[in-house]
Amino acid sequence: MSTLVFLEHHGNELLKGSLGVLSKAATLGDDDVSGVVIGSGVRALADEAGKFGAARVYVADDARLESPLPQPRVDVVAQLVRDAGVATILFANSVLAADIAAALAARLEAGLNWDLTDAAREDGKLVGKRPALQDSVYVDVGWTSEPRIALFRTGSFDPVASGGTAEVEDVRVELEDFSSTARMVEQAHEESEGPSIEDADVVVAGGRGLGGPENFPLVEELAKALGGAVGATRAVVDAGWYPYPTQVGQTGKTVSPKLYIACGISGAIQHKVGMQASGVIVAINKDPNAPIFEFADLGVVGDVHQVVPKLTELVNRRRGS
Amino acid sequence: MTKPSEFPPPFRVADYVTTPSDPEDERIEVGVLVVGAGPAGLACAIRLGQLLEEAPEVRDRLGEVPVAVLEKGKAAGSHLLSGAVVNPRALRRLFKGRKRIDEMPFFGPVAHESVYMLTEKRALRLPTPPTMKNDGNYVASLSQLGRWLAEQAEAGGSMLLPETAAEKLLVDGGRVRGVRTGDKGRGRNGEELGNFEPGADITARVTVLAEGTQGHLTGVALERFGLHGDNPQVWALGVKEVWRVAKPLDRVIHTMGWPLRPQAKYREFGGSFIYPMGDDMVTLGMVVGLDYRDADLSVHDLLQELKTHPLVRRILDGGERLAWGAKTIPEGGFVSLPRRLHAPGLLICGDGAGMVNVPALKGIHYAIESGSLAAETAFAALRRGETPWRPGALAAYDDAVRRSFIWSDLQEVRNMRQAFGRGFWLGGALAGMVTASRGRFPPGNTRTERDAEQELLRSDRARSYPPPDGKLTFDKLSSVFASGNRTRDDQPSHILIRRDVPRDLAELWERMCPAQVYEATDGGVTVTPSNCVQCGAITAKGGRLTPSEGGSGPEYTLT
Repeated sequence: MSTLVFLEHHGNELLKGSLGVLSKAATLGDDDVSGVVIGSGVRALADEAGKFGAARVYVADDARLESPLPQPRVDVVAQLVRDAGVATILFANSVLAADIAAALAARLEAGLNWDLTDAAREDGKLVGKRPALQDSVYVDVGWTSEPRIALFRTGSFDPVASGGTAEVEDVRVELEDFSSTARMVEQAHEESEGPSIEDADVVVAGGRGLGGPENFPLVEELAKALGGAVGATRAVVDAGWYPYPTQVGQTGKTVSPKLYIACGISGAIQHKVGMQASGVIVAINKDPNAPIFEFADLGVVGDVHQVVPKLTELVNRRRGS
Repeated sequence: MTKPSEFPPPFRVADYVTTPSDPEDERIEVGVLVVGAGPAGLACAIRLGQLLEEAPEVRDRLGEVPVAVLEKGKAAGSHLLSGAVVNPRALRRLFKGRKRIDEMPFFGPVAHESVYMLTEKRALRLPTPPTMKNDGNYVASLSQLGRWLAEQAEAGGSMLLPETAAEKLLVDGGRVRGVRTGDKGRGRNGEELGNFEPGADITARVTVLAEGTQGHLTGVALERFGLHGDNPQVWALGVKEVWRVAKPLDRVIHTMGWPLRPQAKYREFGGSFIYPMGDDMVTLGMVVGLDYRDADLSVHDLLQELKTHPLVRRILDGGERLAWGAKTIPEGGFVSLPRRLHAPGLLICGDGAGMVNVPALKGIHYAIESGSLAAETAFAALRRGETPWRPGALAAYDDAVRRSFIWSDLQEVRNMRQAFGRGFWLGGALAGMVTASRGRFPPGNTRTERDAEQELLRSDRARSYPPPDGKLTFDKLSSVFASGNRTRDDQPSHILIRRDVPRDLAELWERMCPAQVYEATDGGVTVTPSNCVQCGAITAKGGRLTPSEGGSGPEYTLT
C-alpha cells in the first residue's frame, strides 16, 4: 500500500496545507508514504517534506515545470502512479491542486473524492469524511477501485513535524505534446503584508461592529502586532469596507488558525462555518446577546474601539516593541 | 404615507425582449422549450414525452433535443416550496396506466384535519370550511415531488438544463422564438470575471413558460403581448420550516387569527398550516397576503411567534429545525387570470398564470393539469401541416383550460380572496356567501388593487416578535442558512429597486423580506442580494426580482 501526497509550493516554501495532508497520511498506517515536488529549482524543498513524515520524496525538477500549470503536473504524477505503483494520491485543495486532481482522475480513470475534511483507515480500507448538507452531517466515502484520489478541504490538518528524513529520488520528466500547449501569460499577486489568511496562525477579523472602514486600521494593527492576517465578514466586504479575498465564511474562505480574534462580529452561522475549526476563538462585541459568544472560547463584552487598541498596545509592550 | 408603487423599480420590459443574436450555427435548437422545472413544466415535459413516444414521425422532426427544460436552481426541486397537501387528480391523469399514487413520493393521505381560530393563548376548534376539506389528498414535499417528476421527465426523453436562468424572451416577427439564458461569471459591477460564460440563445418551435410565482419572463410576456387580465395579480408570502419531531402528528392543521390582527385597516389576510411528513417530521408555515399595510409586518417573525403558541409548541417540543424557505403565492384567482394564456409560439402555465385556489389552499394540481394541457396543445400544433407560431395556432390551450376543472374550480371561488380586503370578519361573511352561491354571489368580478398600491401605515408590531433563541425561534440569517443558500456574493444584483426611498418604505422592505436582503439606512436602503431566496415578495411590493446567475439561490430539498 503506498500513498503519494502532492506537495505544492509557492516560492521557496511548501504550502502548509500540503504538509498538513502529508502529516495526516503518515498516520494512516501505510508502509510507504511519499511526496512529490514538481517545479523548477525545487530540489531543496524535498528535505523539508521529510520532517513531516514522507519516507521518500520524488522530485521533478525541470525548467518546463516552472509555471504552475496543471497539465504537465498531471503527466508527472500519472507516470509516477504507473511506475511506482501508487495506490492512493492525496491533495490539499488549491486552485492548482483541484485542477490536477480532476485531470488525473480522468487520465487514470480513477475515483476522486473531493472536499474531504478527514480520512481514516477502517477495517484496512481507506475511508474519507465529507461534510454534506451545508456541513450539517458528515458522510463516509470510499473508493471502489485503485488508484484512489482524494482532495482535502483547505485547513483540514495541521502540519506535524516528526523530524524524519526522506530519501530523495529524481523523476524523469516526460511531457505529453498536448500538455505544453498552455502557456503562462502572466502571474499577478495581490500585494498583501504578512501571511495569507488561510496559512496564518493568527487571524484578526473585523465586522460591522467596527462602525466604518475608517476603523479597520484597529484590526490591522492588532494583526500586525500578533504577526497574523486580517479577515473580514461578508457584511463588511459587501459594504465595500474591505476586499473580497479577506472574506471568512460560507461564501468566502474557510480558516483554521490557532487563534481567531473576532472584533465587532455578531457570529451569524454563515460566518461561523468559515472559522469554527479555529483553535482558540476570542470575541469582542458590545452586544452580550451576540451569537458569537455561544461558540467563542473567550468573550469580551465591550466596545471594540476601546478594547482592541488596548490589546494591541499590551501585545506590543509584551513583545518589547 | 407612502405607497410602494410611487417608487417604481428601474425595470423596462424592452430590456428583456430581444431577437436571437448568436450566429445561426451557435444557437441551441430544441423542439419544445419549457422554462422552469416545477410541477407545471415537468408535467408538460412528461406529457410531451408520452405523446412523442407514440408519434416518432413528429419526434424526428423536432431534432436532437425534442424537449428541453430550463431550471435556474442548482437542480430540479432546488427552488420548489409549498405546503403541501396535493390533490392527486391531475397526477392520476398524467400517469394513467404508468405510475400509481403509491409509487409517488407522498407522505401518505390526509387522515384527519383540524381548523383552529387562534388567540394569543388559546385555540378554538372550528368546523372545517367546505373549501378546505382534504379527503383523498396527499401530503408532500414539493421539492421532493419535483425531483421525482424530473426523473420521470428525463426517463421520457426530456433534457433537463439546471443552473440555467432564462433571462430574455426571444421575439422575432411577433413570434416567440425561445429564450436567451443569463450570463455567468460576472462581477459585482457587471465586469467579466475569469470564469465568464456568456448566455446562449435557445430557440424552439414552442416555448412553454412554467416559471411559477412571479415568473420573470412570464411577467415580460404578459406585458409584451398585452395578455394581462382585467384585474392585476396579487400575492401572499409564505414562510415555512421543516422540523424533525419527537412524536408523530396525526392530522393536518390550519389556523386563522393570531398572530394576525383582524382590524380591516391592517389588511392582514392569512393563516398557518402544520402538516405531518411521515412519523418523524412536520412542516409548518405562515402565509400572509402582501396587500398588508403595516411596515412592521414580517412573515418570518410571525412564523417565529406562531411557534410560541401552546398548540404549536406542543407539536415541536423536543424537535429540531431541519429546513426553512419562503415563496410567494399568486392569490388573485379567477379575476386576475391573464386574458389569454398563449401568444404566437408561447404558452403560459401554472402559478405563473395565477392558477391558485386560495380558499382551498391548492394550486399544484392546476399546475400539473395546465402543463399537461399545454403539452397536448403544443403536440397538436407540431404535427405535419400545422405551424405553432401562426397567430391563434395555440388558442386550443385556452379552450382546453376553460373546459378543465381548473376553470370551473377557480370560477366557483372567485371574489373570495378579494372579500378579505375588508377585514377578517366582513371578509369571512362574504366568503361564506361566495361558497354558498358557488361563485355566483357577489355578481361580477370584484376590483382588485395591486399589492404595491396599498398605503403604508406604522405600528409597533415588531416589538412583540419573539427574540431568537436558536432552538424554537430563529433570526433571519440562520433561516437563510437553513435554506441551503450559498450564492456567490460577487455577482451583479438581480434585485431592481429604487435606493432613494423614504424611511417607511425602506423599513417595509427590511421587515417584509424573510431573508434579510434589505436594510433601511439613513439615505434609503442597502441590499445584500446573495441572501435572496427568490420568494418574489419584492416584485409585489414595489421592486422587481430578475433571475440571478443560474445555480444561485436556495437549495431546497425538504420544503
